[in-house]
Amino acid sequence: MTTLVSKESGKEGPMDNMAIDYQGSAGERSYPVRKALRWGELDPHRRENAKIGMWAWLWQRISALAIVVLLALHVVLTYKLFIQFLLLLTVTFHATLGLRVILLDFNLVDVKYQKALVWGLMTLGVVVMLTIWFSIH
Amino acid sequence: MAQSTRQVKIFRYDPSIADDGHFDSYTLEIPDETTTTILDVLLRVQREQDPSVAFRYACRVNMCGSCGMVINGKDALACKTNVSNFPAGEEITLRPLNHFPVIRDLVVDMEPFFKKYVETLPFYEPKEDYLEPVMIRPDSQERKDIGLATECIACGCCVSSCTMCHYHDGYAGPAALNRAFTLLADSRDGLFQPRLERALESCYNCRTEFNCTEVCPKNISGTRAIKYIQRLALKHYAHEPKPEELAIPEAPPLVTPVLDRRTFLTQLGVGVLGAGSALVLGAVATGTVIGPTLARAPKQWVPVTALENITSGNVTTVLMKYETKGSLYTQQFSAPVLVSHTGNDLVCFKSACPHLGCVVKWEALSGRFRCSCHGGNFDRDGNVIAGPPPRPLDRYAFKVDSGHLFVEVG
Repeated sequence: MTTLVSKESGKEGPMDNMAIDYQGSAGERSYPVRKALRWGELDPHRRENAKIGMWAWLWQRISALAIVVLLALHVVLTYKLFIQFLLLLTVTFHATLGLRVILLDFNLVDVKYQKALVWGLMTLGVVVMLTIWFSIH
Repeated sequence: MAQSTRQVKIFRYDPSIADDGHFDSYTLEIPDETTTTILDVLLRVQREQDPSVAFRYACRVNMCGSCGMVINGKDALACKTNVSNFPAGEEITLRPLNHFPVIRDLVVDMEPFFKKYVETLPFYEPKEDYLEPVMIRPDSQERKDIGLATECIACGCCVSSCTMCHYHDGYAGPAALNRAFTLLADSRDGLFQPRLERALESCYNCRTEFNCTEVCPKNISGTRAIKYIQRLALKHYAHEPKPEELAIPEAPPLVTPVLDRRTFLTQLGVGVLGAGSALVLGAVATGTVIGPTLARAPKQWVPVTALENITSGNVTTVLMKYETKGSLYTQQFSAPVLVSHTGNDLVCFKSACPHLGCVVKWEALSGRFRCSCHGGNFDRDGNVIAGPPPRPLDRYAFKVDSGHLFVEVG
């Protein structure tokens, strides 16, 4: 925790008068509390409220783990087409979702299109991937 | 509008019992769902059925941000959510906001929220003591960037919806970062550096899930604010000179050179001569050295072995040696040639795998050519059986001259 008084500025100003203790009562409450509920805890509507952005995030993490496993399998069983296909698919998902974050980070796509971006990029990625796959096999 | 009946489930937590909390169900007759808010429902439950239900509210017109709660799984203001928003007959579940300690029923402790709010310095401090009011023009890009982000009412819905607020204790959350953003984007503000440092630390915790954007009752995008701060930091730290760079003394003022006619002509002459000789030298070098080196080596017939060394019905590997003459040096090559002799047919295969050029070896046991690098397999005629090679083994043109086998290289 940092205090509010700006030592760098060195000048007298409203900043220096802001030395109010905001931390004091945090640890010792005079009243008992129930520990905070987590997102979706005790919630019958948990699933329908998992929005596409959450899935995009989760799917990218899952695909990352899948890539690690599939890559190892690919090294051992190089010519198993099934594993080749799965690896390519997970890499496609991982890459397109990563692209989504990059596009949003650098404001190359307005955040208001974030939902369309998830579907659009994943569809585009899979189409490109399948085109490449079927042109090889 | 027809009267309807709704089941309402409300989360109950009594600090005097201090258990895990539970849900109580209430049944309510609602005259007109389109004009009944969840706050109306709560007030009626409290007045008509259970006076002990605790919840917060103040303005009733979504201006104060007191009545934030989780309504059917979505973080929202009770006063802004109509009963008719939910499918007819669906049970309504009311929970306190996530990620805040529960004081009683739907009342949460907002202190962590405001503590984090304060940490990002949510107040305006002018850069200098302005004598006149300083205004950001309404049509300026700066004002458009800030937009309606200043409308935040600090209801806590975004923090409640953000799963990362649970996993990262130090995370300031979308509301505080949105506040920081409105001030960071403000060119009149004097606390840019300390605020940026505090806000940026938190920005790394955003996973671009957009939950805060989805739930905000004021349609503010916390994600946009966070991304904006990160871009701002990128720009700021890219252009901000480092302290050690600032310490470098100023360079002495440049002396303007005086250019007279004589000096100018001399310099021009030297320049022209220099450029001319460089051109000539370059042309000669290109013509004699670089050109022939880059050009494809001319084709030549290379003796491989005497015909008697090749056994019929077998594949014989012979090391072929030859050299090519470049302009400056002579390069020596040696490469195995795979000579396949079946019946009356003689074929000379190149030993370089068509995949990536590794050396292919004949394996008599399996009757195959094998590449050990990536498992390429070829049959006796050089056709691909397995592995990545894109085409059959390449062949040399060959001839037999006075009992000797020659192949064409280059």
